[in-house]
Amino acid sequence: MNPRVILITGANGGLGQAIARAFLQESAENQIWLGVHRRLDKAEKLTAENPDRCRTITLDVTSPDSWKAAVAEIVARHQRLDVLVNNAGHHQDSLLATMALDSWQKILALNLDSVFHGCQAVLPTMISQRNGRIINIASLSALSAPAGQANYAAAKAGVVALTQSLAKEVARIGITVNAVCPGYLDADSLTLDEPGRKRAVERIPMRRFGKPSEVAAAVRFLACAEASYITASTLKIDGGIL
Amino acid sequence: MNNLELKSQIKQVLVENLMLQTAADEIADDLPLFGPGGLGLDSVDALQLVVALDKNYGLKISDAEAAKGILKNVNTIAAAVQQHQTLTK
Repeated sequence: MNPRVILITGANGGLGQAIARAFLQESAENQIWLGVHRRLDKAEKLTAENPDRCRTITLDVTSPDSWKAAVAEIVARHQRLDVLVNNAGHHQDSLLATMALDSWQKILALNLDSVFHGCQAVLPTMISQRNGRIINIASLSALSAPAGQANYAAAKAGVVALTQSLAKEVARIGITVNAVCPGYLDADSLTLDEPGRKRAVERIPMRRFGKPSEVAAAVRFLACAEASYITASTLKIDGGIL
Repeated sequence: MNNLELKSQIKQVLVENLMLQTAADEIADDLPLFGPGGLGLDSVDALQLVVALDKNYGLKISDAEAAKGILKNVNTIAAAVQQHQTLTK
C-alpha cells in the first residue's frame, strides 16, 4: 500500500473521526489532514495521539480562499494530495413553508457549495498527478428526501449530481469521484429524541443504526487502489432502508 | 530557450500530459488544437492543458475567453508563455 496524503473535512465529528481512524489503520505511512473549523477538540486529540501522521488544519469549507490556503499548505508539505473526503455538513430541519431563507442558504452553502469549492481546490493538483480520489459524503436524505429537510435533501441530492457530473469530466485523467449516502448513524450529529429514534429503527430492515466505522470502511475502500474502476457511483449505507 | 526550443517543449507537454498518440514532431506549429481538421482536443484536454501550462511555465489562464485565445495552437501558446516570462522577469 503506497502512503497517501488524505484531507478529510468535518474531521471533528463522529463520522469524520471514524474516517480518519480508518485511514490511520490502513497504512502506517498515510498522512491525514483533519479539516476543522469551529470545533476542533476531537481532531486535536487524534492529532496528539498520532503526531507523525495527523495534522489539524483550519478550513472553512464555505470559503474558496480558505480551501486554497489549506490545499496550498498540504501540497507545499507533501507535493501531492491523493484523497479528498468532503465530509463536512450540517442540517437544520424545518418545514419548507416556514423555513427561514437564512436556513436554506446556510445549509446549501455548508453541504453543497462546500463540495464545489473543495473539488475546485484539489483538482489542479490531482490533474497534474493524473491521479486522485474524491469521496463526497451525501446522505440517504438525498435519495429519500424526507419531509422537513427540503434544504438538506436538496443540498445532498446536489452533491450526488455534482459527483456524477464531475466524475465523468475527470474519469480519463485517473481521478475517481464517488458519493456515499449514509442512513441513520450512531453519531453526534444525530439529534433524535427517544420516540423518534424508535420510529427510525423500525424503518431500518437491520433494526439498528449504523456505526460511523461502517461508513468509514466504505470510504476507505472507495479511496483504495482496488476501487480504481468505480467512479460516478452512489453507495448507500443504510441497513437496507431503500 | 529560443522560440523553436520552446515550441518543441510545448509539443512535448501536449503529448505527455494529454497522452496523445501523435508524436510531438508531427504537430505543426499552427495546427488547430480543437475542432475538426486539427488535433481534436476536447474540453477535458483543455482542462489538463491549463493545469500543465501553469505547472510547467507558471502561466495562469484564469478565464474561458483568455483560454480560447491562448489555446488555439502551439504558436499562440508559445506567445503567451513568452509574454508571461517577459512580464515576470
